[in-house]
Amino acid sequence: MSATDVDTVHPLELEQPRFSVKKPEVRHDRQGDTPDAQRVERAMRNFVRDFGRTAALYMEACVHCGMCAEACHFYVATGKPEYTPIWKIEPFKQAYKREYGPFAFFFRLLNLKSKVTVGQLQEWQELLYDSCTMCGRCSLICPAGIDISSLVALARHGMCEAGLVPHELWAVAERAQRQGSPLGATPKVFKERIEWLADEHEIDIALDKPEADVLCTLSSIEIMKYPQSIVATAKIMNHLGLAWTFRSDGYEATNFGMLAGNAEWQKDMSMKLIEAAVACGARTLVLPECGHAYGALRWQGANVYGRPLPFQVMHISEFLAQQVEQGRLKLKPLAKSATYHDPCQVSRRGGATAAARTVLQALGVELREMTPGADANWCCGGGGGVVTIHRADALRYKVFQLKMEQIERTQAEVPVTACSNCRQTFDDGQQHFHWDKTMHSLLELVAGNLEPT
Amino acid sequence: MDLLDFARGPGMQYALFVFVFGILWRLVGVLLLATKPDLSEPRRPACWKGMRMVLSRFWPRREFLQRTLATEALGYTFHIGFLVVLVFFLPHLLFLEDVFKRLIGTNLHGLIGVSWPYLSGGVIMVVGAVTVAALIALLVHRVTSPVKRLISNFDDYFSWLVTVAPLITGMMAYAHVWRPYPTVLALHLLSVELLLVWFPFGKLMHALTIFAVRAATGMAFERKGAAL
Amino acid sequence: MATMAAQTVGEALKQQGVSRRAFLKFCTAMATLMALPPQSAPAIAQALSAARRPSVIWLPFQECTGCTESLTRSDSPSVENMIFNMISLDYHETLFAAAGDAAEAAREHAMQENFGKYLLLVDGSVATGLDGAYSCIGGVSNVQMLEQAAKGAAAVIAVGSCASFGGLPRAHPNPTGAVPVSAIVKDKPVINISGCPPIPVVITGVLAHYLTFGSLPELDALGRPKAFYGESIHDRCYRRPFYDQGKFAKTFDDEGARNGWCLYELGCKGPVTHNACATVKWNGATSYPIQSGHGCLGCSEPDFWDRGSFYQALPVGSWGGAKTLAVAAAAGAAVGVAAAALARQRQRDIAKEE
Repeated sequence: MSATDVDTVHPLELEQPRFSVKKPEVRHDRQGDTPDAQRVERAMRNFVRDFGRTAALYMEACVHCGMCAEACHFYVATGKPEYTPIWKIEPFKQAYKREYGPFAFFFRLLNLKSKVTVGQLQEWQELLYDSCTMCGRCSLICPAGIDISSLVALARHGMCEAGLVPHELWAVAERAQRQGSPLGATPKVFKERIEWLADEHEIDIALDKPEADVLCTLSSIEIMKYPQSIVATAKIMNHLGLAWTFRSDGYEATNFGMLAGNAEWQKDMSMKLIEAAVACGARTLVLPECGHAYGALRWQGANVYGRPLPFQVMHISEFLAQQVEQGRLKLKPLAKSATYHDPCQVSRRGGATAAARTVLQALGVELREMTPGADANWCCGGGGGVVTIHRADALRYKVFQLKMEQIERTQAEVPVTACSNCRQTFDDGQQHFHWDKTMHSLLELVAGNLEPT
Repeated sequence: MDLLDFARGPGMQYALFVFVFGILWRLVGVLLLATKPDLSEPRRPACWKGMRMVLSRFWPRREFLQRTLATEALGYTFHIGFLVVLVFFLPHLLFLEDVFKRLIGTNLHGLIGVSWPYLSGGVIMVVGAVTVAALIALLVHRVTSPVKRLISNFDDYFSWLVTVAPLITGMMAYAHVWRPYPTVLALHLLSVELLLVWFPFGKLMHALTIFAVRAATGMAFERKGAAL
Repeated sequence: MATMAAQTVGEALKQQGVSRRAFLKFCTAMATLMALPPQSAPAIAQALSAARRPSVIWLPFQECTGCTESLTRSDSPSVENMIFNMISLDYHETLFAAAGDAAEAAREHAMQENFGKYLLLVDGSVATGLDGAYSCIGGVSNVQMLEQAAKGAAAVIAVGSCASFGGLPRAHPNPTGAVPVSAIVKDKPVINISGCPPIPVVITGVLAHYLTFGSLPELDALGRPKAFYGESIHDRCYRRPFYDQGKFAKTFDDEGARNGWCLYELGCKGPVTHNACATVKWNGATSYPIQSGHGCLGCSEPDFWDRGSFYQALPVGSWGGAKTLAVAAAAGAAVGVAAAALARQRQRDIAKEE
């Protein structure tokens, strides 16, 4: 499909609470004209390429205890057994046993596990994309210690190679690769927005500085939907008196290549950020309020780069916490009760659970943790690309009820999070259920409560 | 050579051979696969500390307990009961000590100065019965729970069978029921041999693999400072 | 020399001075031992009195004479050797006064006169190696003698484990090619009274049964009378409660041994041995090996000599050794290395093609 085709067939939807491509009459969940046999072949080869010792051990250790289902919001909200996390990677496991495991020869010879078919891969598309946010709760519960979430990420590589990505997710990923943003926030649009915001809010927004200590990045969801995040970032950076900048050659922190499963695109997207940081000599790269962006650069960035990153990577919540702990960021007390929704990739998967709480404490809110909270918190259900997929809406709303119940139980006035994808998932859910609670951004709360120095 | 002679002698020899052969094949075949180094900057460089996951995953997090308690409880009843029957019954102990002695060179008493304790036959029977009951309950759960029914395959059911068979035949032998004792004893040994032969090739191998898996994930998570 | 087969048993007993009371006591004991109903005792008495004394030919092959010793040990009239008063023992090398050609002639005469009716008792295994040359009597091999004697026998009774299963001579490496009686005699009923030696009253009981009912008692799968071999030592052992309680003697002189605890750990083969030792006992019900503090050898079972040490507990010893397992480990590791290498090569090939 050519660039114009993508724009025509999958036009952007920027009016709804959640930004995606417009809801299609016809779905295009197969990319390209590749014949079926070849699709399977490509998927298999990619699966094999991704196996390694750790993945192999994972696939040797599962005892089908079914506990992973009990941790998964998609299963818990619907009771549908096909959402069992380890079941989601069944074709991946089949491929492993047949092609890569120690008994592979016998598995093939005696057909001990059946060959993966294109029909099966199509059936599994929904399981791998619609009903998995790679939130990692399953990885936390598994008695065998299997990191199922990482296996889903690997399995998506094969699906993408086979051209079997849900079309909305593929479309925004393709856009991100081609245009630099999944939601049309091209460098040109980005620059225009910065200019307009700087003007509108009468604030200096550093852009394309040749040298800086801190490189700040953004999510297209912020650029297009929550532009006040840009202002908030600038405000805080200026307040702290840091030599910081945005760069139009490296600003998009979301990584839809990773979410779709395209390893090549994932690398390209990360490299933009890395090269921009290197270009301006940044010592710290601050990732925006985004979950998967954190996983993509903080934990996978060096590996796609091929060597350790020459700068520190921090999530904005970590950065703010650091400034608070170093006494450089003083905040006006916000006399409200608050509860924190943990972005899965930052807290549970990322190891930065404490950061947001440090900031919230500095904000002086009465923090009421959800149950389950912190590292075991429920996923919002929209991460990993799920929120872009229209056919997953009904499922996502069922899951969202878990979040609403959680927040209601705390009776907190202000729900807060540090991920704009979670935020738009909450916005969409709020509209759907006519809920009275609005999700807030930690970054914006901080920016709005700066204690003047 | 009657059935008991075969089961005690060549049968056990072949079974133990396949047991050891298969385990090494599978473990080495997996542990020698390619790894990629992680070049990201660790939050906690002492990632070996993550090996504590080997122990911590023996019990679920508080937040998950309500939905998993029944399975955990039944699972442990079975595992612990099985181990008690295996290592605290004198005839088993004599066999295991003999293996131990032939491999290490001295028996346990020679090594650490104390003899391994054992329980009376009656107690072992009760523990065995409870273990079988737990296994049956687990099987019932496996066929009635929609999740487990979907994800279960031949391996799950066959492994269940080869696990319950030694328990049942062992109890039958002890109680001297059904056929002449030497025949039932032979069946018991043969069922153990079946378990040994199947062990490396099915899910029973988790007895060895989960420790490597927990260690790997534990270290990966510890590196990130993520919750174990 | 005429046989005394013309007499009835009753007449013979009277002649020998055996009192009616002693005779009835014997019949009651037989009924009890064979687990027959109490009413059988008078029936046995009646039948036995009127029965003709059968001719019995006793052939000794590769034997140690222990079976004969067991039967004849008592020097006072007893239940055991009462039987000698009831049968006409027309040939028995050890007990005979006669020897050499005279003895052989007596045997052939008895066989001829009672053709089809005599009982053939055999102790010792039959040597088949070197065409039977390993064991000959008067130049005639065991195999030949047995085949010939079995032709006219009403029934064949293999006395002792050697005759029943091959016994000691058959133990590895079996240099004489020893086989049991049942390997040679295929067309006649053979009853195995195994044991090394067998309990005397078992022999007596079987003969009494035959005399009374004219048939052999019910046999188990190994041809042994179920009445005596139907239960294992373990199931009738007085030390069984200690086995169940987990109280085992660890050495022959430790506290457990002194307390009379179970001898399982010291090699007792009771659980897999069928015999009447634990109930009937030996030496006029005095004792049996376990009661004397020594584990059961399993002497009434086939191949008991080749089943590992008498002092090694049942579960121990026959599973192979460290060397076998070391080979298994090395072989498994080698295959594992190959499998991993293949898998890695597969990955490299795919990466190259991309």
